[in-house]
Amino acid sequence: MSAIPLDLDNTLERPGERAPLVLGKSDLASITEQVCEIAERPRPSREWWLAFGTSASLTFVLFAMLGYLFWTGLGVWGINQPVAWGFAIINFVFWVGIGHAGTLISAILFLFRQKWRTSINRFAEAMTIFAVICAGLFPAIHVGRPWFEYWLAPLPNQMQMWPNFRSPLLWDVFAVSTYFTVSLMFWYMGMVPDLATLRDRARSKIRQIAYGIAALGWRGSGRHWHRYERAYLLLAALATPLVLSVHSVVSFDFAVSQLPGWHATIFPPYFVAGAIFSGFAMVLTLLIPVRHIFRLESLITPRHLDNMAKIILATGSMVGYSYIIEFFIAWYSGNPYESFTFLNRALGPYAWSYWIMFTCNAIIPQLLWFKRLRQTPGLLLVISIFVNIGMWFERFVIVVTSLSRDFLPSSWGVYWPTWVDLLTFLGSFGLFFTLFLLFLRFLPIVAMAEVKSVVPAAGLELGPHRGHGQYWGEIPHQHDEENER
Amino acid sequence: MRRRQDLSRGEGSRGSGGSSLGKQYWRSLEELAASPAFQQRIQQEFPELADELIKPTTRRSILKVMAASLALAGLTACRWPKERIMPFAYRPEGYVPGVPQHFATALELGGASLGVLVKSYDGRPIKVEGNPAHPSSLGAATAWAQAAVLELYDPERSTTLVRREGGQRRVPTWDDFLALAAEQATLLRADKGAGFAVLAEATSSPTVLALRNELQEQFPRVLWVEYEPVSRDLERAGLARAFGGLVRPRLHLERARVIVGLESDFLFGHPEGLRHARHWGAARSGEGDAMPRLYAAEALLTVTGAASDHRLALPARHMGALLRQLAHELARGGLALPAGWGAAAFDAGSPESRFAALAARDLLQARQQGLVVVGPSQPPEVHVLAAALNEALGTVGTTVTYLPDPEPTRRSHLEGISQLATALADGAVRTLWILGGNPAWDAPAELDFARLLAACPQTVHLSIYDNETSQLCRWHLPRAHGLEMWGDARAWDGTVSVVQPLIEPLYGGRTPAEVLAALLGEPALSAHDLTRRTFARLWGGEEERWRLALSEGVVANSAWAPVRPRLNLEAVIAAAAGLQVPPDGGRELNLHADACLYDGRFANNGWLQELPDPITTLTWDNAATFGPEDARELKVRHGDVVRLSAGGRSVEAPVLVVPGQARGVVGLALGYGREAGGRVAAGAGVNAYRVRTATAPWVVGGVQVERTGRRRPLATAQDHHVIDTLGMAERGRRVGSLIREASLPEYRANPEFARNTAWAKASPLWKEIEFKGEHQWGMAIDLSACIGCGACTIACQAENNIPVVGKKQVANGREMHWIRVDRYFAGDPADPEVRFQPMPCQHCENAPCESVCPVAATVHSEEGLNQMVYNRCVGTRYCSNNCPYKVRRFNFFNNFKSVSATTRLAFNPEVTVRGRGVMEKCTFCIQRIEAAKISAKNERRPLRDGEIVPACAQTCPTRAIVFGDLRDPDSEVSRLHRHPRAYGILEELFTKPRTLYLAKLTNPAAPAGEGGASS
Repeated sequence: MSAIPLDLDNTLERPGERAPLVLGKSDLASITEQVCEIAERPRPSREWWLAFGTSASLTFVLFAMLGYLFWTGLGVWGINQPVAWGFAIINFVFWVGIGHAGTLISAILFLFRQKWRTSINRFAEAMTIFAVICAGLFPAIHVGRPWFEYWLAPLPNQMQMWPNFRSPLLWDVFAVSTYFTVSLMFWYMGMVPDLATLRDRARSKIRQIAYGIAALGWRGSGRHWHRYERAYLLLAALATPLVLSVHSVVSFDFAVSQLPGWHATIFPPYFVAGAIFSGFAMVLTLLIPVRHIFRLESLITPRHLDNMAKIILATGSMVGYSYIIEFFIAWYSGNPYESFTFLNRALGPYAWSYWIMFTCNAIIPQLLWFKRLRQTPGLLLVISIFVNIGMWFERFVIVVTSLSRDFLPSSWGVYWPTWVDLLTFLGSFGLFFTLFLLFLRFLPIVAMAEVKSVVPAAGLELGPHRGHGQYWGEIPHQHDEENER
Repeated sequence: MRRRQDLSRGEGSRGSGGSSLGKQYWRSLEELAASPAFQQRIQQEFPELADELIKPTTRRSILKVMAASLALAGLTACRWPKERIMPFAYRPEGYVPGVPQHFATALELGGASLGVLVKSYDGRPIKVEGNPAHPSSLGAATAWAQAAVLELYDPERSTTLVRREGGQRRVPTWDDFLALAAEQATLLRADKGAGFAVLAEATSSPTVLALRNELQEQFPRVLWVEYEPVSRDLERAGLARAFGGLVRPRLHLERARVIVGLESDFLFGHPEGLRHARHWGAARSGEGDAMPRLYAAEALLTVTGAASDHRLALPARHMGALLRQLAHELARGGLALPAGWGAAAFDAGSPESRFAALAARDLLQARQQGLVVVGPSQPPEVHVLAAALNEALGTVGTTVTYLPDPEPTRRSHLEGISQLATALADGAVRTLWILGGNPAWDAPAELDFARLLAACPQTVHLSIYDNETSQLCRWHLPRAHGLEMWGDARAWDGTVSVVQPLIEPLYGGRTPAEVLAALLGEPALSAHDLTRRTFARLWGGEEERWRLALSEGVVANSAWAPVRPRLNLEAVIAAAAGLQVPPDGGRELNLHADACLYDGRFANNGWLQELPDPITTLTWDNAATFGPEDARELKVRHGDVVRLSAGGRSVEAPVLVVPGQARGVVGLALGYGREAGGRVAAGAGVNAYRVRTATAPWVVGGVQVERTGRRRPLATAQDHHVIDTLGMAERGRRVGSLIREASLPEYRANPEFARNTAWAKASPLWKEIEFKGEHQWGMAIDLSACIGCGACTIACQAENNIPVVGKKQVANGREMHWIRVDRYFAGDPADPEVRFQPMPCQHCENAPCESVCPVAATVHSEEGLNQMVYNRCVGTRYCSNNCPYKVRRFNFFNNFKSVSATTRLAFNPEVTVRGRGVMEKCTFCIQRIEAAKISAKNERRPLRDGEIVPACAQTCPTRAIVFGDLRDPDSEVSRLHRHPRAYGILEELFTKPRTLYLAKLTNPAAPAGEGGASS
């Protein structure tokens, strides 16, 4: 078996050739070893403990804030009349947006046979689950009387009272809960073969039992694989429309209302693009350090980063286009309220937030046109963080600037978050990272079974085939370069 | 139970030693031991019952206490002569438990009464409404009168007598006080009352006046002084000079065509403001040729100035000169005036002379239908000349009449208090009884009244609060609240009302009449007896007449007959000669009674503290107001604290920039900065009385303004923050379509100017909701009539149990008022036009709030009401976001958590008290709709138009708000909805509001040189 050099530039496109998706001396065993080892370390590193301690503390802060909120009332937040939605809804949309990358990578890229997804899909799906958990938290806590929240569910009851099916908030309930369920199933099902690997390698009884239960009796038989592939395909087909629908429905929360700045038909595509944009940015933000820390450069190659950066560039440009076209439509519609809302966004009291959003989302990602930047993980990390910031501010701009100045100037107001708002938002990051660190600690963070299908070694003994393992013998361009020297 | 009591009595009488007290009952061992600690605790916890509790308890006394508690539980409709109130054995005629009753009574403020009807549930007054039969009310009530309910149930009202001596605070009983009174009476008899003084609030009560006369007859050397910080004595003095005798002017706006007001807020800050507003509203919305035109010159922007057609912002000290200029123009226009009345005081072409010329031209056309009216803060000379001009124009008898002054012997309030202060300082007064008021806090600053009061050996203060004055007095007596007392009062025009109690005094308070009677050796006479006696003397003792007075709220034909005083021409010439533009003495400070707190007596009233000022929308504070140019010049902005000093006195107040305020003028409202005002009043505003002197009670010249560098955030109900240019420009663009207006000629040329027809042509894409209900409710609000006074806001607050949220929450935009009055400025900030728009829920037929609620907590009724189902609401607040009018209010906290048990008595039992996390909004007073429907059904008749009146419409002084059934084509509201001026705001959103506004009509004069008055 020949090794593909770790520093091979696999981002090049060569006609008739497929770029290798796994670099270095990887074979089936080494991939198993490499991934399982992370979850099998006897004790986590000091850094993990530090990170876990911090995020667990922040999670505690989150729950303390929720306790305070439930005890005192929504007044502890900065919301008011007219800005009746604030951080809670901003954070909700922010986290739901982030939760888009996972399913997109797992489902849509799967259906499009984008094999490069295999190294990152587990990771992205996990992030999706955790982000959707954080997202789901906010609508649940933002209502005035959370103890009656179950009224939003269409439960038969003695009042013979159904929820109002005309309300986008109800659609939200369905959309987000469906999305969460399908994402969870998808993630878990895809993990079953890998959990079985962990089970098989487990040394301690506890691990054997825990992974054994989680692996659902997976034995890796042909029939298992057959059923597994079928189910995976079906779930992918089921999840694909959800990727588009969830954020469309979230955007309906705004688009269906008649508030200037919210009431816009562009919102569904604009929100979906923004969600993918922010989701990929968050994947990059998490992946780049993890890849470095756990030495996964051979599995998560520059080509992966490059591809993700390209998606960020594409969706970022769509988002930027939306920002600009919104202004055009505001002017073209001749609707004075809408025109003012957009002028007010760019020049009014919250202009700073608009320009943070515009810079982070529409300008900074344009740097990704440069290939060199796409291949510099450090810079990519910085850009992805900017995108995260920008996308949070996008939701801030949409929610706050539109509400603070609507139709009647007499009811115009201002909104400022309180310390409870800020700590709750920070706490949601704590929850997210706590879950994420637990994932890093106990679960296979790369989909081993899937990656194995794209290592060169996978096809060696089978003769030529169309898979990604086509590289044998010498690596032509690699060789050429060496000869030139 | 009875058996047991009988048995126990039997045992008691047989008991040890045959104690005459019967068997002893005790509640704890400490009590049995009667330890000093226990006695002290009783004193602290139940001061008013201390006597009963500490004395050996008998079965009889326990029953007495029980009876009293039952009485306090309030199972009575009204306080009738029998003062022990027991549960009904037989139901009184006409009383159904749970059905509200209305009682007519009157509330007195500043020596003039306002007739009101008080709604009472099972002996519990909950709502004050105007008495249509009362000449000063005509069915409306001021915010102050309406907030009396909250004052009545204020838990911080004084509950006991207090005796302060040598740093000790003791709780005596009324018997102790009666003993003191008897002792005092003996002393008075000895030397005819020398060394004794009474300081009373202004009162119109015939009973109190009779007692005063009796006191002065019996003890001629008693000094009787009346003091009100807010009074119209300068006007009184001016008219006295003009006519050589004291008279009281009464305005008749219903006959006026042209009104020239100088520093006069007669639509709002006048004892008959409600009546004036009513006539004004009727005339302004009437569209007839009789539509009056108002010229207002004023230093601060007032409600009246905002309603005017021509407004001149002018320092108050220039008003005399302006009036003289007006006289000059009138003379030039052909009015025969004696020489010396008029003089050109301003340059030709100056805004002042143009204003005067226009006003003179109109006055000359209107002649006897004109009216010149000068505000109470102007010096007497200005009033003299104004009276003279009215005389010359022939308005006396049409637009102004003169009534005899009710107390011709009374010194002015400022003279009175100054005289008393001198007497106190000299030691000539050793005993001072203060009936009401708060002179230690609001007397002119240079008198240092608080110090004099503290030094006086014997002082008694009767007051509903243990306030700043009480704390300096030896004795404090709890006063019966206006809704708890028997008494009588006279309106501005003299009409007598009997004040009847709605409830037994909650804390055993007594009235001034009772206190005086105690001094006069009649301690046994209750306020009822005293009132009845006066009534019998003045109006006859027939029971029928008394009953009629009680049920009607007024004594028919008791108003004073107008008099026709003769003008003293020399006095006019002398007064006019002094009216000149003052040599520039720096800035002037304009002190004024607050639109919400009046003189400060209402400072502990949360409703009034949170009621936005009509002009500034400021709540919970007063502020040093500056015009925009002055603010720019001084480099101050909203919230900067400045020090205002004049004559060695100073006060520090936050700045509020108000458009339309005259240059060189600082405004500051009285009534804030209470030191012992209670928990609600604490921390609200600054005390303007510190710079108020007897020589300059209203207008202080030569005021220095210094920045302190500190800031004090202010909570305004509108413009919660300083607005940027972009927002300001947009607001300016929008106001025109929100508040549509036209001048009278424009309206005549195009009556449908306000109609927005574009949206009406668009046909909906969906099947519209059909409203099948028998009635279809709707509202119409006439912007021509509305003067923005805010009475509707308080009426709604009282009717619908709307919580008070406090300054911090108002600053954060969380005020709860269901009907707010939007105020917009238009035009030049230095000379803006002011527009008001009351904004309740519009009850849209296509309500945007309804479709977005996920739990269907807000839905439409068949009768077209947008209903909020509190029980179903989970509080997503999406409805509020989607409401283009932003009239929905959210309970961010449990707003009732800290409401005391006493204050809860003020709640309207017909309206749910909303919990935390629930959205609420205007219901069109659905409880009143349903009540009227039920009574119509019981009486088997159709509902009558006008039978259902929401609280806001009911109290609106100008009758700007009309509610009714749109399905009935003959109803008033249907007629108004068909009116050419009717329009809905934001109709282009297709919300189809059920509340339509009638566009505002203005009546400006044609520019100088063109045609004449409105005809």
